[in-house]
Amino acid sequence: MKTRIDSLDDVITSFAGQGYICDQRTALAVYLAAQLHKPVLVEGPPGVGKTELAKAASAFLEAPLIRLQCYEGLDESRALYEWKYGKQLLYTQLLRDKLSGMLAETESLEQSMERLGDLGDAFYSETFLEPRPLLRALRADEPVVLLIDEIDKADQEFEAFLLELLSDFQISIPELGTVRARHQPLVFLTSNDQRELSDALKRRCLHLYIPYPDAALERRILAERVPELGDQLRDQLVAFIQHLREQDMKKLPAISETLDWARALVLLHADTLDPDLVEQTLALVLKNEQDVALARDLLPHWFRKPRSA
Amino acid sequence: MADRRLHEFVRALRGAGVRVSPTEAEEAFRAAALIGYHPRDQFRETLALTLVKSQLERPDFDACFEAFFHFESAEDDDTGEARADDDALSPQPGEGLSEQAAELVGQDAGQLEQTLARTAGEMDFTDMEVITQQGLYARRLLMNMGMGAVDDDILRLDASSRGADQRRAGALREWRQQVRELAVRHVRRQFNLHGRAHGRALREHTMRAAPFRELREFQQVQTLVRRMARRLASLHQRRQRKAKRGALDARRTLASSLRYNAVPVQLHWRQKRRLKSKVVVICDVSSSVRDAARFLLQFLYAMTDVLPRVRSFAFAARFDEVTEDFDRYPPDVAVGRILDRVSGSGTDYGTMFEEFVALCGSDIDRNTTVIILGDARNNDLPAGEQHLAEVSRRAKQVFWLNPEPPARWNSGDAIMARYQPYCRAARRCASLNDLSRFTDYLLKSV
Repeated sequence: MKTRIDSLDDVITSFAGQGYICDQRTALAVYLAAQLHKPVLVEGPPGVGKTELAKAASAFLEAPLIRLQCYEGLDESRALYEWKYGKQLLYTQLLRDKLSGMLAETESLEQSMERLGDLGDAFYSETFLEPRPLLRALRADEPVVLLIDEIDKADQEFEAFLLELLSDFQISIPELGTVRARHQPLVFLTSNDQRELSDALKRRCLHLYIPYPDAALERRILAERVPELGDQLRDQLVAFIQHLREQDMKKLPAISETLDWARALVLLHADTLDPDLVEQTLALVLKNEQDVALARDLLPHWFRKPRSA
Repeated sequence: MADRRLHEFVRALRGAGVRVSPTEAEEAFRAAALIGYHPRDQFRETLALTLVKSQLERPDFDACFEAFFHFESAEDDDTGEARADDDALSPQPGEGLSEQAAELVGQDAGQLEQTLARTAGEMDFTDMEVITQQGLYARRLLMNMGMGAVDDDILRLDASSRGADQRRAGALREWRQQVRELAVRHVRRQFNLHGRAHGRALREHTMRAAPFRELREFQQVQTLVRRMARRLASLHQRRQRKAKRGALDARRTLASSLRYNAVPVQLHWRQKRRLKSKVVVICDVSSSVRDAARFLLQFLYAMTDVLPRVRSFAFAARFDEVTEDFDRYPPDVAVGRILDRVSGSGTDYGTMFEEFVALCGSDIDRNTTVIILGDARNNDLPAGEQHLAEVSRRAKQVFWLNPEPPARWNSGDAIMARYQPYCRAARRCASLNDLSRFTDYLLKSV
């Protein structure tokens, strides 16, 4: 991992180099998070590039990305660590054989106990520890970027369990004690606002809200990601998508949908938007039947009046 | 000084209703020290990243930031107003005045404004509580600026017998008046930040305890209700799981049995989310109870995260289901529509319960909580408590909320005593505080 980030512009340039176009606020969040060693909670509608941000940060900092996808019922044995029970079982069998030999010479029960006590306690030891993403991030030999994706889907209990990790970069394992991070990871948490996160969690994080991009930013993103798209078509497309986002839709089109649509239009060798083309490809942008119907009603009006940039 | 300014900003933010913890404030100071104050946008975003933890609070933050860092903004300020003063605030000749006074009067409008801002930055405005204190604070500000020297000089010139000196005094007095106004304007801005915060806390306190009927006079009440409801909802979110019941989780049980030599010592159960309970609300919306009904419904519908299934009924002269109105319209509009439909006088609880049982008696099961809001004033009609008994038998529990004090529950045509035996609890509900307490109790018991 890069030990130092020189400046904010450094972040923006590097992100742009990877094709992740962001506004200044987003770059600022990454910069501050790295400098202050604070986790970032990224919120925003689906498809605006929350997960991508963590990936871009990982590439920028030249640090590996460890990802933990959250879901309902996620618990610490899947997020943090698990014991290798099979091996532990074999170990006890092994122990039994060895022990009978070792304890054969002892005369009294006390003596056997003593000898048993002298043995290293290997049953709960690192050898039999199966690290899951969180523990891997803490024990990595180099600093990593840890992405805890869709934290709002996990249960409240799990959120509480994360608090220790987020504030002190350490985690308690009952059998082993406290595991401290060898190198402080840069943590990103993403949330789609499915439920309100607890104040305690929010307090420990920087809070970044990524909204749908404005027209200028969306044009830049398109130019970067789908360079084959003509200038004129790009402007039309962005204007239309921005118009759609002003409507009262069940699911608004996100950047990922804009990109899909743009790629499709390139494949279709389109060079300008017309009602038929939009009608045929609308399913790429809108994922809900009612939304599609609503957009269809908008089409005639949209294409009738000549539109300036 | 920078740190103190930030401290004051945090206080102002809290006053504006944004919750900021001490650690967050400290984090903001560190971040600000790292990023610096310029450019202004960047500074604002830095503070927002560290202090604002919810998109809902962002507008409050932006407003507060604009107001607070007003003087620091690169190009000053209420353009029109300030520019108009430029002529009057032209520098005055300083000869014959004391050194301190000469330095002050020699400043042009921009410099004066800066001096003012600098002096104000060293003062503590956070104790200002009421608007009438602004004169006092303006005077203090002027004194700290060193205007005392100018006052002395004016008095000295006044006392002089020379005509030129007298005219000088007049001009200086006019100049002083302008500076005073500038100071007052600055103090007022400070008051808007800090004083308002105190006033707001006070107002909120009043609103919470005020009877519903008087609440309409407060503008902020909607915001307060929303905030109280959100707070409650997030408090209760975590009580939704139940454990140790349901199906055996074979995989986890087997896995954990391995550590006990394949003896399943620990059983693991599939955790299942508790079936979210149904809540049915019946509201009396006749004129005496209407205000309470409005807030109760608003509260319950703000709980959709925790109470996803609320059915509501309203009655006055007529009885009707109003669930849809609340699903479709904001509370204010919904209440208006409902009143149009069912309003009138002569509430008849007996018939209402009978209709209710007929309409959705079959829908009431042991997951259902029924809440009745009304004053039980039955206009001397038959009580019909057997219907309520029927509801109570089928439902998990019945609560009765009465906006009147308990002493009057059975006076006149009120017949609470006839209904109360069928309710798990009957409570008074006359203010937001009562309502919030009841909702808390409800969420624990559904």
